[in-house]
Amino acid sequence: MQRPVSSLSLNPGVKVKLVSAGFQFTTDLLHVKPQQLSKEAALNQQEALEVLQAVRRADEGAASSSSTALELLQKEEEELRSIVTFSSQLDAALGGGAPVGRVTEVCGVPGVGKTQLCLQLAVDAQVPRCFGGVGGQVVYIDTEGSFLIQRVADLAAAAVNHCSLLVEDQEQRVAMETFTVESILSNMFVVRCHDYIELLAELHLMPGFLSDHPRVRLLVIDSVASPFRPLFDELLQRTRLLSGFAQQLLSMATSHDIAVVITNQMTTRVQGAQSQLVPALGDSWGHAATIRLLLQWEGPQRLAIIVKSPCHRVSTVRYTITSEGFRDAEQWSEPLSQSETGKQGV
Amino acid sequence: MVVLREGMCPGLDEDLVRDLRNADIKTVEDLVSSDTEKLAQKCSVSYKALLAIRRVLLAQHTAFPVSGADLYEELLSSTAILSSGNPSLDKLLDSGFYTGELTELSGGPGSGKSQVCFAASVHISHHLKQSVVFVDTTGGLTAGRLLQMLEAETGSREEQMEALQRIHVFRLFDVFSLLDCLYGLRAGILQQASVGGGGGSVKAVIVDSVSAVIAPVLGGKQNEGMSLMTQVGGVLKTIAKDFNIAALVTNHVTRSLSGEVQPGLGMSWSHVPRTRILLERVEAASAGCSSLRSATLIKSSRQPCNIRVEFDLQRWSRSKRGSEEMRTPEEMDSA
Amino acid sequence: ERGRETVRCDCVTGEGSWRSLTSSSLSPQLFARLEARRCLKDIEPRLFPAHGGPEHGDVVELHGPEGTGKTELLYHLLCRCVMPTAAGGLEVEVIFVDTDYSLDMLRLVSILDRRLTHSSGAASAAAPELALRSCLSRLLVVHCSSSSQLVLTLHLLETSFLSRPGLALLLIDSISAFYWLDRSEGGGSTTKQEEKLSKCSLLLARLLRDYRITVFATCHAIRRNFAGLPASSDFARPHLCRSWQRLVKHRLLCSREQTVDSMSDSVKGDKGERRRQVFGVQYTSPSLPSQRSSSFYVSDGGVQSEF
Repeated sequence: MQRPVSSLSLNPGVKVKLVSAGFQFTTDLLHVKPQQLSKEAALNQQEALEVLQAVRRADEGAASSSSTALELLQKEEEELRSIVTFSSQLDAALGGGAPVGRVTEVCGVPGVGKTQLCLQLAVDAQVPRCFGGVGGQVVYIDTEGSFLIQRVADLAAAAVNHCSLLVEDQEQRVAMETFTVESILSNMFVVRCHDYIELLAELHLMPGFLSDHPRVRLLVIDSVASPFRPLFDELLQRTRLLSGFAQQLLSMATSHDIAVVITNQMTTRVQGAQSQLVPALGDSWGHAATIRLLLQWEGPQRLAIIVKSPCHRVSTVRYTITSEGFRDAEQWSEPLSQSETGKQGV
Repeated sequence: MVVLREGMCPGLDEDLVRDLRNADIKTVEDLVSSDTEKLAQKCSVSYKALLAIRRVLLAQHTAFPVSGADLYEELLSSTAILSSGNPSLDKLLDSGFYTGELTELSGGPGSGKSQVCFAASVHISHHLKQSVVFVDTTGGLTAGRLLQMLEAETGSREEQMEALQRIHVFRLFDVFSLLDCLYGLRAGILQQASVGGGGGSVKAVIVDSVSAVIAPVLGGKQNEGMSLMTQVGGVLKTIAKDFNIAALVTNHVTRSLSGEVQPGLGMSWSHVPRTRILLERVEAASAGCSSLRSATLIKSSRQPCNIRVEFDLQRWSRSKRGSEEMRTPEEMDSA
Repeated sequence: ERGRETVRCDCVTGEGSWRSLTSSSLSPQLFARLEARRCLKDIEPRLFPAHGGPEHGDVVELHGPEGTGKTELLYHLLCRCVMPTAAGGLEVEVIFVDTDYSLDMLRLVSILDRRLTHSSGAASAAAPELALRSCLSRLLVVHCSSSSQLVLTLHLLETSFLSRPGLALLLIDSISAFYWLDRSEGGGSTTKQEEKLSKCSLLLARLLRDYRITVFATCHAIRRNFAGLPASSDFARPHLCRSWQRLVKHRLLCSREQTVDSMSDSVKGDKGERRRQVFGVQYTSPSLPSQRSSSFYVSDGGVQSEF
């Protein structure tokens, strides 16, 4: 079976022109010169070149992107680490924190601590490698105006203080010289987006930015829900935009080795006589993130529940928010009776 | 519409291609459809020669008709049934995934689609010693998780590593990359994978998930999106048939107006899979999330539909439990 | 008439007879053979109005969404055609054009097997495998993966039409397979979008006129307006190009009917038949006012009528 030209990643108008000029399969284009193509298919020089490049890419591209699971395992063990949350219980449940190379979604009602967790991660992503961190830079996209610089400075000071108490060797001593509140703040790129158009535009530019800033290890979007919520009336368009958005995030997380952390609000779903609090943005958005974390209140306590993850069991931990940031809930340090029927084994 | 080029077949030289073009015959289709006799006069070429060219071109650009008896013979000798590694699911699938066919698992977030795919890959690579191509479009695959599942099967590090080596992972996040990958496999990477990948030929191609890359292109420029979806379905089915491979894809679900859960991607996609299974969480009576999942057969050519089984995702963990499936044929209103 | 004229022409000019064989005209001996081509008017009387079955050269469209039994029905008709007359079949040859890569040979064989066993009883039980193979040898399958390839394939099949007088039925599953591909390749112009299927239809019209073969083609219902909420009547509307619509003489609209419990509760949960899915078929004809509805259900043995 030959590959049709219409399966190539090209402008639909260009593809129509190619087909109507009789170039239906990529094989028809293998031996054509750019000049000839532009004449026969009524394309401009640039378009003709793009077409031929796309054909060549399609011809050789596929084979190179594969790796065996064994190679992946080596990469996972050696290179991909997680960004700690400073809540040891949550870290343990997540296998180390927010994983680099994946998309993690944090859902919860207002005030439960979504933003606090994001700010904490934005600080923690910069913890030097010799302290078990990833020593990276951070891009923080704020869509709700909830990024408070003073709060970040407080969390940063607490983190610096925490690390300075752990110093044991020379390497760590040297690292501490550049791990300061100032350096933390200066390695955080904050973007304020007011609506979904700004957000989509920002995301479109992101791969270029990430290539220029290879030290970025974390991308935060707090939140995804608020810019997309006004689109509620155009459900189909929203679903389409969101699913494309999700794939972009995934692709960035994978190709630039960054942790992507996004937040989402909760909404009420009414089904018959029952109503239920569920993450916003609809069912299909539920597939967007690889890991879904639900933050919720239980009386005066805060709970973090891993509701979806391909590599962790479903589990629940308690946490608290102190003046220093996101921390374990102290009084209840013994783990909750983890549901015996966790999603997966050990 | 394949453009006529010199050297495509014996007798079709530069001059003839030019003469044909002047007679407004540009493509193979044009030549085959035209009156050979008149065309021969117009292009001053012998009728016999043009007829021979027509015959060769037809043979080159169409598939050869095969007798049903031969197809059946071939099917008997080549079809394999690959166990999913899960007895409950195997029951629904009438023993497992059939090579030559496309099977779909649909379900909401966290319904266990990926876990079933992981388990199937591990089962096929470890127990059946065959290679697997795993296309990950959701970033959900971790080799660490595959290793966990393998550790539950065998204690031998060597066997675990061998099995991991037989699983070929493609990570891609848009529909064009998926098409690049699938057409690439179609064009022969499959054979290479079997040579380079520590033995065993590729017996399964898994795409988890197909909806993640198709959904973003649907709806807008509708024709283009639908066309891309048709092509993904088409190339998967030809891969399955021509290479004798079991194709497995996952799909998300949507809710109909009445609130009923149905597989995503709409009517046109519904024809693509031969077998469709809907996965759902089984709500636990106690608080917390349960690892119990139900699987319902919603399309099959072998089994009555709406058979439902339950299974525990933990079965792929350390201990090998007995089969706990319950067969509860349940009435489900048809859509 | 046209055939005779051409033949006379050939005789006058004295050109070799190989020529008339390869062009679309008919040679005298072939013409005689074609007279004998089996008519499929009685292929499945229960689907069509009385005396209204498909004539020589008629096109029947099976239309409906997924899960409405189109393919099952097609296999059922296929089996009826390839089975020997002794077993209640028509004993004719069939070409199956598989455009969707969807031919389920295992399913086809199991239907055929059941029907053979059922019809013959113990008589041919001695060599069931042999009977099966001889039925299957009356079937030719050809794949195709684009509408331009479909055009070429039809040209190619002309040779088979010529050389096989026993050939009476052409199945196309499905004729709508390339709908979206053609739409997107045609760009903004509807004429361009429909060009290829139109070509197919015109070619098919000529082949049917010349070779008097009967065609059954499935057509998947589509949701034309992606955003709109589908009205069920919307699925039934024909959406393929005019030339194809003109070709269609009979239309069978397939739908899914209520699931019927065929067993009493006491037997439920037993290994046997659990439920049966009943499908509905509504017959319409674009040229005639006649209508007819019937139902069938699918069991392990294949399609059973519920008429």
